[in-house]
Amino acid sequence: MNLSDSKKKLALAGVICGLVAACLAYFGNPANMAFCIACFIRDTAGALGMHQAEVVQYARPEIIGLVLGAFIISVMTKEYRSTAGSSPMIRFVLGLIIMTGSLVFLGCPLRMVIRMSAGDLNAWVALIGFVLGVGSGVVALKKGFSLGRAHVTNKAGGTVLPLLMLGILVLSIGTTLLKASEAGPGSMHAPLIASLIGGLVFGAFAQKSRMCFAGSIRDIIPMKNFDLFSVIGGLFVVMLIFNIATGRFVFGFGTPGIIAHSEHLWNILGMYAVGFAAVLAGGCPLRQLILAGQGSSDSAVTVIGMLVGAALCHNLGLAASGTAANAETGEIVAGAVPFNGKVACVICIVACFVIAFTNKRKEAK
Amino acid sequence: MRKKELKLVVTFHTTADAMAMEKACKKHGAPGRIIPVPRAISAGCGLSWCAGLDDREQMKEMMAKAGIEEEDMHECMV
Repeated sequence: MNLSDSKKKLALAGVICGLVAACLAYFGNPANMAFCIACFIRDTAGALGMHQAEVVQYARPEIIGLVLGAFIISVMTKEYRSTAGSSPMIRFVLGLIIMTGSLVFLGCPLRMVIRMSAGDLNAWVALIGFVLGVGSGVVALKKGFSLGRAHVTNKAGGTVLPLLMLGILVLSIGTTLLKASEAGPGSMHAPLIASLIGGLVFGAFAQKSRMCFAGSIRDIIPMKNFDLFSVIGGLFVVMLIFNIATGRFVFGFGTPGIIAHSEHLWNILGMYAVGFAAVLAGGCPLRQLILAGQGSSDSAVTVIGMLVGAALCHNLGLAASGTAANAETGEIVAGAVPFNGKVACVICIVACFVIAFTNKRKEAK
Repeated sequence: MRKKELKLVVTFHTTADAMAMEKACKKHGAPGRIIPVPRAISAGCGLSWCAGLDDREQMKEMMAKAGIEEEDMHECMV
């Protein structure tokens, strides 16, 4: 059965991915983080010792599963294609930007939608920035922005990231080398096998449906095409029902304990950078993982950029903090974006503009 | 719902090529519209150009003139 030939079936793919996220949240992933690409790459960077923020270190099997799921399904359906050569270092920088923007907002576009479904109004504010960012990317595309074409390479090239992910999985199961948080978000996780299976299923469906958060809005702006949006819609509805049914739906700003902050300007600017960079890179963080799984070394470089970006964000104090209640006094401490994070976010946006308007398409000879 | 029919779908290496195609077609009054790459095709940049099956030669000619390189030309239900 072709799962991707109508909007209804595409929405079904979104529903299945939503169910995966809901199950993982139920089995122990942090509240309304359920399935966040940026957070989970950040946790994985921590597990590898790339940063020392003790509360966010855990080799998330979801990330490994996503890449391997996309790899397996693309090999099975003959969609695996090893490609490379489309401005890799610019893609690396775009990966850094995507991660910095995400950690200023506290979540990738996937988590933004999950947070929206949990009633977090901060995420709805961030959506404004994300849409504007994608819009800026579309303007750049219309003006002829291009990172150049990728070429087919040696088949083995595209297997490197999936193999590295497999390596991380082996290390996390068979050794005690990797770091794992004992407290904080990094310590909250579903059982390894559930996370891994969830990642594999999510990855396979995301690959087949071409699910992309930036792409869904990119397709609406110039083409009024709602195919990709229907996938996201399906996911949103499932998470909304799950959150309401389990009493996790809390409507408002500044709700403690959900790893979010209410600095509206920075929620908007953080997601603006993510949306802009994602369109320039050809896909949101989730899509980068999926494309890397199906053989794109260019997307794999973007993923490495995100991994390094996550480490930098914590090593240089760029990541925002979430609004939380003090465990002893019960006093609510507002989450905030540190000064360094604000500067980094502005630099990221400037970098997006520079990249967008200095890389032009060349006419074929 | 609109009935699906067999169409010519041109895929491109980059999104910019697809955008350039849209511009060139508008300029030359060539038929077709920009659409996301149908999922039956596993290729391209995400965007493609959809036109009638009979437009193949016109498309080729125009792309050569405008300096746009296609990745492939498919016939599929859209």
